[in-house]
Amino acid sequence: MENSAEMQRFIEFTADSYLNITLQQEQQKAMVSEMVGKLTSVCWDKCITSTPGSKFSSGETTCLTNCAQRFLDMSVIIAKRFEMQ
Amino acid sequence: MFISRPATHSRSSGKTLLLGPSPLPHPVSATTVGSKCFAKCVTKPGSSLSGSKSSCISRCVDHYIEATGIVSRALFSTTR
Repeated sequence: MENSAEMQRFIEFTADSYLNITLQQEQQKAMVSEMVGKLTSVCWDKCITSTPGSKFSSGETTCLTNCAQRFLDMSVIIAKRFEMQ
Repeated sequence: MFISRPATHSRSSGKTLLLGPSPLPHPVSATTVGSKCFAKCVTKPGSSLSGSKSSCISRCVDHYIEATGIVSRALFSTTR
C-alpha cells in the first residue's frame, strides 16, 4: 500500500516535470519563430528593393544573411548596454 | 526547414508517447507576406489583379519564404 502511494507520487512527479519541460520547449519554439518572422520582415524591407525577379540575386542573399547576423550582434551590444546601467 | 516532424516522442522502451513536441510554428504569417507583396506588386491598384500582378505576387510569396529560410540559417547555422 505504501509502495503504491510512493509509486503514485513518482508518476505524478514525472508527469509534472515532463509537462514543465514541454511547456518550456513550446515557449522557446514560439520565441524563435517570432524572432525569425520579425527579422525576415525587417531584412526584407532593407534588402529586397526591386520587384521580385525569377530568382534572388546573390547580393540580396548576402544582404539577408548579413542583416540577420548584424541584428544578432546589435542585440548583444544592447544587452551589454543595459547591463551597464 | 520548417516542415513539421510528427508529434511523437520515442522512449527508450521503444514505445511511442503520443504527447510529444509540437512542430515549430511557421514564422511566416499570411498577413505579413500579404502586406509585403502587396506593397511590391500592386503599386497602382486597378479594377482587377492583372495576370502580371498575380504572377508577381506568387513569385514574391516564394521569395519571402526563401528569405525566411536564409534569415533562419544565418541565425542558427553553426558555421558563422
